[in-house]
Amino acid sequence: MVAGILLTSVACNKDFLDRKPLVGATEENFYRNEADAIAAVNAAYAPLQFEISPAGHFRWIWGDIMSDDAIKGGSGDNDAAELLQLETFKVQANNENVESEWSADYEGIYRANVVLEKVPPIVMDEQVKARLLGEARFIRAWFFYNLVTMYGGVPLADHVLAPSEYNLPRASEAEVWTLIEADLREAANVLPLRSEYPTADLGRITKGTAQSLLVKSLVWQKRWSEAQALAEEVINSNQYQLEPNYAKIFTLEGENGPESIFEIQYMNRSGGNWGKNNANEGSFTNVFQRPRGQFEGYGFNIPTADFVQEFFKEGFEDPRLKSTVFRVGDAMGDRGIFTKEATGGFPYDYYPKKYFSNKSEDATLGDPNPNGGTNDRVIRLSDVLLLHAEAAFHNNNEDAARQSINRVRARARGTVQNVLPDVTATGSALLEAIYHERRVELGLEGHRFFDLVRTGRATQVLSPLGFNEGVHKLFPIPLSQIQATNGAIQQNPGY
Amino acid sequence: MERAGTCLSAHNNLIIMNIKHTYLFVLLLLLAQAAGAQIVVSGRVTGADGEALIGATVAVKEGKGAVTDIEGHYQLTAPSPETELVFTYIGMRPRTEIVGDRRTIDVVLEENNALIDEVVVVGYGSQKRSNISGAVSTVTASEISETPVLRVEQALQGRTAGVQVTQNSGSPGSPLTVRVRGTGTINNSDPLYIVDGIPVDGLDFLNPNDIETINVLKDAASAAIYGSRGANGVVLITTRTGKKNQDGKIAYDAYFGIQSAWKKANLMNAREYAILSNEAHVAAGQAPLPEFSNPELLGNGTDWLDAIFGDAPMTSHQLSLTGGGDKSTYTVSGNYFDQEGIVGGDKSGFRRYTARINGTNAVKKWLNVGTNLGLTNLSRRFLPENNEFTTPLVRALNMDPVTPIRKSDGTYAYSRYSDTDIINPVNAIEQTYDRWKSNRIVGALFGDLMLAPGLQFRSSYSVDATFATRNIFYPTFDLSSDPVLSDAPAGEKRAINSVVLQHNNWSTWQWENVLTWDHQFGESHHLTLTGGTTALENRYEYSGGANSNLPSNDPDDAYISNTIDPITAQSAYGGADESSLLSVFGRANYVLREKYLFSAALRADGSSRFGPNNRYGYFPSVSAGWILSEEDFWHSKVLEYLKIRASWGQNGNDRIGNYGFTSVVLSGQNYTFGPDQIITNGSVPLTVSNPDLRWETITQTDLGFDATFLNGRLTWTSDFYIKNTSGMLYAAPIPLTVGANPPIRNIASVKNTGWETDLNYRQRVGAFKYSIGGNFSMVKNEVTGLGEGGEPVYAGRVQSANASVTKTEVGQTIGAFYGYVTDGLFQSREEIAAHAFQNEATAPGDIRFMDLNNDGVVNNDDQTYIGNPIPDFTYGINADVEWKGIDLGIFLQGAYGNEIYNATVRYDFTYVNRPVSVLNRWTGPGTSNSEPRVSLSDPNQNARVSDRFVEDGSYLRLKNVQLGYSLPKTVLKRIGFEKFRVYASAQNMFTFTKYTGMDPEIGSYGGALEAGIDRGFYPQARVLLGGINVIF
Repeated sequence: MVAGILLTSVACNKDFLDRKPLVGATEENFYRNEADAIAAVNAAYAPLQFEISPAGHFRWIWGDIMSDDAIKGGSGDNDAAELLQLETFKVQANNENVESEWSADYEGIYRANVVLEKVPPIVMDEQVKARLLGEARFIRAWFFYNLVTMYGGVPLADHVLAPSEYNLPRASEAEVWTLIEADLREAANVLPLRSEYPTADLGRITKGTAQSLLVKSLVWQKRWSEAQALAEEVINSNQYQLEPNYAKIFTLEGENGPESIFEIQYMNRSGGNWGKNNANEGSFTNVFQRPRGQFEGYGFNIPTADFVQEFFKEGFEDPRLKSTVFRVGDAMGDRGIFTKEATGGFPYDYYPKKYFSNKSEDATLGDPNPNGGTNDRVIRLSDVLLLHAEAAFHNNNEDAARQSINRVRARARGTVQNVLPDVTATGSALLEAIYHERRVELGLEGHRFFDLVRTGRATQVLSPLGFNEGVHKLFPIPLSQIQATNGAIQQNPGY
Repeated sequence: MERAGTCLSAHNNLIIMNIKHTYLFVLLLLLAQAAGAQIVVSGRVTGADGEALIGATVAVKEGKGAVTDIEGHYQLTAPSPETELVFTYIGMRPRTEIVGDRRTIDVVLEENNALIDEVVVVGYGSQKRSNISGAVSTVTASEISETPVLRVEQALQGRTAGVQVTQNSGSPGSPLTVRVRGTGTINNSDPLYIVDGIPVDGLDFLNPNDIETINVLKDAASAAIYGSRGANGVVLITTRTGKKNQDGKIAYDAYFGIQSAWKKANLMNAREYAILSNEAHVAAGQAPLPEFSNPELLGNGTDWLDAIFGDAPMTSHQLSLTGGGDKSTYTVSGNYFDQEGIVGGDKSGFRRYTARINGTNAVKKWLNVGTNLGLTNLSRRFLPENNEFTTPLVRALNMDPVTPIRKSDGTYAYSRYSDTDIINPVNAIEQTYDRWKSNRIVGALFGDLMLAPGLQFRSSYSVDATFATRNIFYPTFDLSSDPVLSDAPAGEKRAINSVVLQHNNWSTWQWENVLTWDHQFGESHHLTLTGGTTALENRYEYSGGANSNLPSNDPDDAYISNTIDPITAQSAYGGADESSLLSVFGRANYVLREKYLFSAALRADGSSRFGPNNRYGYFPSVSAGWILSEEDFWHSKVLEYLKIRASWGQNGNDRIGNYGFTSVVLSGQNYTFGPDQIITNGSVPLTVSNPDLRWETITQTDLGFDATFLNGRLTWTSDFYIKNTSGMLYAAPIPLTVGANPPIRNIASVKNTGWETDLNYRQRVGAFKYSIGGNFSMVKNEVTGLGEGGEPVYAGRVQSANASVTKTEVGQTIGAFYGYVTDGLFQSREEIAAHAFQNEATAPGDIRFMDLNNDGVVNNDDQTYIGNPIPDFTYGINADVEWKGIDLGIFLQGAYGNEIYNATVRYDFTYVNRPVSVLNRWTGPGTSNSEPRVSLSDPNQNARVSDRFVEDGSYLRLKNVQLGYSLPKTVLKRIGFEKFRVYASAQNMFTFTKYTGMDPEIGSYGGALEAGIDRGFYPQARVLLGGINVIF
C-alpha cells in the first residue's frame, strides 16, 4: 500500500513522461537567446550556397547557358546531359536541375520562416532582433524572387507549413510579388546601412541589398517610377561606389568591394562543400567553369561568339571583354596559357573568366574541386545604375537615364583612350544602348536570360535556339512536386 | 500529485480497496488458526508401471507436506481426518485423497498426456491451459535442454507454431531474429521479452539451462495486457525455482562439443582462375597475364575458405542447487559457457559466466517475499560480419586462388589480382582485436500479500543494469613485398595504429503493483480479476575515446593514454538518452460452468516516446472460448477435449526511438562573414517534428481450437489470424515546399494473415515410450499502405550491382526482391539485333533481359518482382523415443518457399574468384544459355539486380539428433544418485537445400526491408558434442 502510494507520487510527477533529448538542442530548448537567434539566421543564409544539391542549380545555368551568351560545354553532350535540355529549350518537367532550384529555394524560405516564427519571442537586444528579422525577410524574398521569375506563381509558403498545408497550391504571380515587396520594404526599414555593420558582419544583408532587390522586382513588374525613385535612393545612399578598376571586381581582392551590394560568400579553406546541409563553405563554380586538361576544370558555361561580338559592336574592343572571357593565347592566371591542347583538345575558343581562380588560391584543405573560394557577385551597383537608366528611360527621363549609363561606361573606360564614349542617343536607340550595356557590363553573371524575358526580347533573340514564348519564359514545375501534391500544384503551360 | 486524478485514478481505487481488505482479512486469517488432532500417514507413490516415483510432492492443506524418497515412500502428519492430500509429480495427473481413517495411503499416479491442466504463465498471472481463450504457446525446460544452445532464442526455433526464429549469423553470441506471427512492421518487429516479470532487451545474458518455461503470447488478446509493447508478441520466460518441501538436489550438467563448417562454397582453383583470366583478357583484346601462360602449373592454389575456417570447441558446465522447506524455496545455479567461432578461431568467440539465485520465503502466512537475481559476465570477440566489404567470409569468397596465404619468407601475401577491396582474410583476421565485455544484473524483489482467500497483492521492484565496454585495437602492419616501394594496397597496410574504447551503461528500473482476486461463485462461476500499475524508466549512457600512434603494437598495451602524441590525437565523445513508461492495466477472466470462457483486458500506457499530443495509448482486448466437450451432448470417446476460441485485441509497438516526435536543431548549417571569411555557425531543425507521433498499432483477430484425442495421447492446436498493423512509422516524402526533411509519421500499414498448427502424439507400449510432434506456420505478408501518394521504398543495396534489391510497395510483401528478368543468353549478333536494345556494347554471351513493357528498350521500366524473402511456411518436427533408459531425440526444422538474393560474389570487380559454376560460361554459340561470357568489363550489366541471383532458399535441417543413456533407478539407488545420464548429440548434421551459398538460414542485418540478402553470412556450425546430466 505504501508502495502504491509512493508509486502514485512518483508516477504522477508531471515530468516523468516528459523526456527531451539529452544531447543536442531541440526546438523546445533552442531559440532562447541572442546567440540562438543569430545561429537561426545564419542557417537561413546557408541555402544561398546550395548550388549543387542534389543537382546543379547555379545562377549561370539559367542566366547564361539558357541565353545567347553561353552554351553548356563540359566533356560532351552526355556530360550533365540535363543542362543540354535547358540550353536547347527541350527541358522536361523531371529535369533534375530545375527540381534542385525549386528545392533549394523552398529550403531557404523554410529557414527564413523558422526565424520569423522563433526569433520574435526571444528576449534580446531589440535592435539586433529587428535586424535579424530583416535579414530573414530579405532571404525569404530572394528565394521567392528566384521562384517567381523562373516558375511564375508558386505556392506561397509564407510560414512554416503544417502537415495539413503540405499540398499548398500555387498562388498567382501578383500574390508572390506582393509578399516579396512587403518583405523587402520591411527589411529595408529595419536593416542597417552597409556602413553601419561591424566589419565582422561583412556579407550580411544590408538596407541597400533589400532596396536593390526591390528595384529589380519593381523593374520586373515594369513599375518604372517606383523603381527609378528607389534606385536613386540606393545610388545616393553613399554606401556604394563603382570600383574604379573593372577587372578588380572579379578578383579575390575585389570581393565585397565598394560596389558590391549582394554577394553570396564562399571560402576555400573549409574542406569542400559537397551539397546542402554541409558545414563547409566552398563553391563549385570555379571548377565547373575552368577548362579541362591542365586547368583541371570541367569546362562548363562556354561563351558564344555572338556574346564576344557584342563587345566589338561599337567599333572598338570593349575593355571589359578581357575581364569577361579568356581567349586563346590568354594567360589563365597562374595555371598557364590557354591553348586548345592545354584544355584537353576541346574546340572552344572562349572560356568564362569572372569566376576563374588561380591555382595559388586553391584550397589547402580537402578536395580543391568543390572548394572554390570565389564569391558570387549577385547585385553590383552597376546593375542598379543600369536598371535606374532603364526605369528613367521609361519614365521619359532620358537625361537621368544617360547619366546613369554613362557612369557605368566611364568606369569601364577607365584610362583607356578612344573607347566607350558617353552615350548621347535618345529614344529607342537609348534603350538599345542600355540593353547593350547590360549585356557587356554584367556578362556571364547570370542575368542575360532573365533580362531578355523581362524586356520581351526573348523570342527575338532566343527563338533560333529553340525558345518558344508561350512555353519557355517560365520553367516547368518539377514533375515530382505535382505528383507529391497529388496535382494540387499545376504545371505551367506547354510542359 | 496534481495529475493523479487523471492518470492513475484506477490505481487509487485499488489502493483504497487494499487497505479495507487488509484489516478485514488479516483478522479472519488470525481467527482461522486452530489446533487439531495429529494423524501420521505414510505410503508409497508409484507410476502406472509400478516404478517408484522419486520426489513426488504430497501437499497437505494447512500443514507440512512431504516428498517421496528414493523408493517412493513418504510420511507426514495430517491435522485431521478431513485433511486432503494432494499428490503431484511432473508429467502426471495430480491426485487428491482425503485421509479419513486410513494411515497408509498408496497412490498410483497416471501420466498426464494432455497437459491441459498445466498452468500457463500469461502475464501478471497464470491460468490453467484448459481455461485459456487466447493463443499461447509453451516451450518447456525439457525441450529447451534437449539441444544444448548458447542463446534462448535458439531454443525457441522450430519448437512452436507461429514463432519464426532465424539465425542472423553463425558467429558465437550473435543475436537472432524472432518473429511472432510474421513481420509486423518495416521498423522493429522484435517481440517483447519478459524474464520473471522484468522486461529485458536481448537475451544473450540468460543461460538457457536456468529456464523453466517459455510462453509466447501470440494473439492480441493475450498480449494486450502488455499494451503498447505487445504488438509483436510477448515472450514470457520463467526461470527455475525450487518447490516447497522438496529435498535439496544438486545437479551437474556439462557438455563439450566440436564445431565445424557444414558446407563450404565450391570456388575455382588457381588453374581454373587463370584460364578464365586469360579468356577475359583475350575477349577484351588484351594480352593475357604472362604469369598465367601455363595455367596447369598453378595447380589448385590457395583455398581461402579452408584458410579461414577451422574446428572450434564449445563447452558448458552448470551446477545448480534446488530445494525447498515448508516456508521457502531456493535455486542457486552457476554456469560457464565458452564457444569459439568456426571462422577466425579465437578472434571470434563468446564466453559467459552466469549466476542465478531465485528464492521465496513465507515470512508470515499472509506475506511471501522472493527474489529472482541473475548475474552475467560475458565477453565477445568479433570479426566483421554480414557485409560485402570487410568480412573474412566475403574476402575468402572473392580472393583469387593464385595468391598464397604467405610468401616464401613466411609473411602474409597480398593479391595482385582480385581488387584492392579484397584483402588477405587470414591477415585481416589476425589484425582484428575487437572485444565486447559486459556485466549485467537482472533482478527483482517481490512481496505477495495474501489479503484474503483468493485476494493477493504483489509489489515487485526490478532492475536491469548492464555495464559494457567495447575495446578495439587497430595495429600497424604492412604486407608490402618491398617496404621501400610500399607496394601493398591501402587495405593491406596500416601505418598508424589506434585504439578505441567505449563504455556503455544501460539501466532500467521497473516497479509493478498487481492485485489479483480469484473467486469461485457457487458451482458454476469462476471469476479472476487482475489490476495493476507499472512505472518504468530506462537510461542509456555512453562515453568513449580514441587515440592513435601508440608506441607499442601489442594489443595488451592498447590504452588511450599510451601514445606518442597524447594531446593532438585524442578524441572523446559521450551522451545519454532515456525513456519512461507509466501504465495502468486490468483483466477479467470469467469461466462459466467450466465450459464457457470469457476474458477482457485493457491497458493504458503513457510513454515518453510518444509525442506530446498522443502521450497515452489505450489497448483493449476481448476473447472467448467454448469447451464443447464439456457439454452434455458430447459423447465422443476419441475426441475427448475440444475447445474453440476467438479473440480480438489491439496492441502497440513502442519501439519507435526515444525522441522521434521532436526535431533536433542541427548546428553546422554555416555561412561565412567578414573580410577574413570566418565560418559562423548556423542552426536549424532539418526535419519536421511530429508531436502527434505515437505507437504503431496492431489489431489482431484470432480463431483457433485446442483438441485432445485418444485419452490425451494426441493433442492438436490450430489458429487462424488476421493481424493488421496500422500507423506504421514511415518518413514518406513530402512536398519540397515544406523546405525540411519529412517527419516520421504513423502513416503506413501492413497485414499479416496466417495459419498455424501444432500436433503432438505420445504413446507408451510397455517400457517403450515415444512421442512425435510437429508444428507448421503459414503467413502471408502484404503492405497495405505507405501514406498518401504511397511512394515505394527501395532498400537493400548490394555492391555487386550498385543498386537496391528490394522494393516495398502497397500490395506487395515487405522487402520483396525487385529487378530484371533474365531470358537466357544472346547466342549471336542477330539475336541481339532482334531483341530490345540493352547496350551498345552488348555482345553474344551476354544476358538477355526481358523487355517486359515491349517498348524496344530494356531499362528501369522493365523491372518486376523476382522473389520474396518471406517463407510460404516454416515447420518443425520432433520425435523422441525412450526405452529402458535409452533416449533418442530427433529434431528437424525448415522453411519453404522463400528466396535468397545471393550477393556474395563481388561482380563489381573483374578479377575476383567465382563459384565453379562460372566454368560453364558461354564461349561460343550454344555453349551455355545461363552463365554469361567472361569479360574484363560488363557493359551489358550482367551483374545488375536480376533473377540470376535469386535462389530458392527453402531448406530442411536436421537441427539436432541426440542419443542418451540413463542409469536405471536400481543402480542409482545403490550409488545414491537420482539421475545419471550421458548423451551424444549432433547439431546441424544434415541440411537439405538447393541454395548454393554457404547457408540458407540467413536473417537480416538491415531490418525487414532487406531480409534474405546474402552478403556473406557467417554460416552455422555443425556441432558434435557429448554431455552428462547428474542429479543427486
